[in-house]
Amino acid sequence: MKLDRGILMDPRTKLLILITVTTFALGGAGGEATAKMVPVLCMVPFVLLLTAKRFKTALIGIILFAGSSLLLSSANAHNMGGFLYYMILGCCGLLGRFLPCIMMGRYLMESTTVSEFTAAMKKIHVSDNIIIPLSVMFRFFPTVMDEADSIGSAMKMRGISFGGKHSSKMIEYRLVPLMTCCVNIGEELSAAALTRGLGGKVKRTNICKVGFHFQDYIAIAICIVPWILLIMDVVK
Amino acid sequence: MIKFENVSFNYSKSDDRSVKNINLEIKEGEAVLLCGESGCGKTTLVRMINGLIPHFYEGEMKGQVLVDEMNITSEELYETARKVGSVFQNPRSQFFCVDSTSELAFGPENMGLPEENIKARIERTVESMNIRKLMDRSIFDMSGGEKQKIACASVDTLDPEVCVLDEPSSNLSLEAIDDLKETLKRWKKAGRTIVVAEHRLYWLKDICDRVICLNKGEVVFDMPMKEFRLLREDDHRKYGLRSIEENLSMMPVKEKISFANNIVLENFAYSYKKYDALNIDRLEIPQNEVIAIVGPNGAGKSTFSKCICGLMKGFKGYALIDGKRCRKKELLKKSYMVMQDVNHQLFCETVMEEVTLGMDEENEERVLKVLDELGLSSFAQRHPMSLSGGQKQRVAVASAILSDKDIILFDEPTSGLDFYNMEKVADLIRLLRGSKTVFVVTHDPDLVRRCATMVLSLENGVIANKYTYGEKRENGRKEEKCYTAAV
Repeated sequence: MKLDRGILMDPRTKLLILITVTTFALGGAGGEATAKMVPVLCMVPFVLLLTAKRFKTALIGIILFAGSSLLLSSANAHNMGGFLYYMILGCCGLLGRFLPCIMMGRYLMESTTVSEFTAAMKKIHVSDNIIIPLSVMFRFFPTVMDEADSIGSAMKMRGISFGGKHSSKMIEYRLVPLMTCCVNIGEELSAAALTRGLGGKVKRTNICKVGFHFQDYIAIAICIVPWILLIMDVVK
Repeated sequence: MIKFENVSFNYSKSDDRSVKNINLEIKEGEAVLLCGESGCGKTTLVRMINGLIPHFYEGEMKGQVLVDEMNITSEELYETARKVGSVFQNPRSQFFCVDSTSELAFGPENMGLPEENIKARIERTVESMNIRKLMDRSIFDMSGGEKQKIACASVDTLDPEVCVLDEPSSNLSLEAIDDLKETLKRWKKAGRTIVVAEHRLYWLKDICDRVICLNKGEVVFDMPMKEFRLLREDDHRKYGLRSIEENLSMMPVKEKISFANNIVLENFAYSYKKYDALNIDRLEIPQNEVIAIVGPNGAGKSTFSKCICGLMKGFKGYALIDGKRCRKKELLKKSYMVMQDVNHQLFCETVMEEVTLGMDEENEERVLKVLDELGLSSFAQRHPMSLSGGQKQRVAVASAILSDKDIILFDEPTSGLDFYNMEKVADLIRLLRGSKTVFVVTHDPDLVRRCATMVLSLENGVIANKYTYGEKRENGRKEEKCYTAAV
């Protein structure tokens, strides 16, 4: 099975989208001026997930997002008040704002290979001291998930679950073995990387080609609009 | 090529596992097998050749190690990396990238080689190791054997003069070991110097020309492979070695088995998105026996284990135990898996707390009895993480017994163990026979012959073969093929 990564985009573009989405959708920068752009921006991560054939994730995301926006706007339209309104405002507002950012982050992690990421960071002259830890993070996330999964199974077999006898210690039981395992793996991983010459004085090469294509320009164009609006708003 | 001059080493964190007064010379193109029981110092020697000692693992070191006139002990690790390539035991923690192609490029990239050169190297490695179908794939989705192939390939792209391997076969199936053997043969042909530290010896008998055995950090013998193969079993056992002429037959132990009270597994089927991993309509298994589950990587062994332990989401099958129908939820209550990495399942601060965690009622007498049977009485107040691998395994088993589990499943309990420790595990499993139904997922023929009373061989998600002692027809095929022999 080949990696299914959807449209090939430069990691820098993906980062720009992530920053733009978080600034405007989550941070709500620009207020009135950019409000019309926000729904468009929010759709971008879902479209990207669809191109990467993550249909289930994208669909659930879209339904949740659309559902919470609808609920919120209908609550506003009916001039609701009181506790229920604040509940809806809280839940839907949070969901609507966080969801696109989380989805974009996920897309970024899943669709970018470590070498693409390093190559892109090199191009914007980020120092190795930042790139290497970041690239290790890419590698480490799936590992931690795997480990957490096994530990979850082990806990189930021991009858440790919410509502069970030991529910108060759930977090401790989950974290202690996880940390032990991650430390071990981390050590082995560093040893392996060192024997393959990481950390030498020579300049590292990278065989991965990154660069901007048609799809990147479109995405960048979409991202630039709210920034311009924001700047105009501030200048005015 | 490799020279140890009066080398001694003590790890700074612990007292054991040190080596003393090592003087060795390994010639160019030689293939050397390092063997000896667990903790004898063979891993330490390997780490000295690739420079991880003293640059990564700290301790007190005397003497020096030279590779091709270069002083490894004082040279920086990234310089050593040009000459010495390393393959480690654990396939999951030795790759640095997520996809296989970047992984192969990783070493040469670190050397700062020009892009065209790196591409040519990758192409050459892919061609010679025949791994084209593994390229551009996520390493996380690969089997242990495939991961180990990628590890070897990424050493190959660096084109080192010396290759060291530290227990590379520990997590591999017999089929995957055959592939590894091919890789080593190719390396040897290319004139590389090879040093392998191993417990399983049989697959190296036509590869290595020289055997160095260590015991408690000292060389006990150093002889040509030809001579080593003439040694008697007893001599092997004396140093905790497995046999060089390993018997690969998976014939279970001769025992009377009662089929009166069988467990019936029905509809043990499971498919992932793209393929059927397991497809067993009906299977009868004698209760309270030891059943070995064998088969190549990807045959459905782990899916089967997860199903029987009730850990598989969306699994629809069930087991009839004593006439009662147990679905996923009941199976989860009745069974326990001793995982390959036992660290995943030890949660508490003392062994005592750990083993009583799942008990319905406190019963000190019973706890002490079980601890005693498993030889854990003296560790009751120790922290489980401070124990050795084998002891941890026993703690896991003790907690399974005390939480009244009926089915205990061992997931590759002997990977990476020497002869003594393997026998200990076999003893432990034999102890459970008669009171628990035990499943043992394993690649280890030695273990099967010592403790299993029935063998289930899985292939492509179905039972290819199921036999007890004497039932299997040995059809005199070549040794390499013996383990897949079907009736």
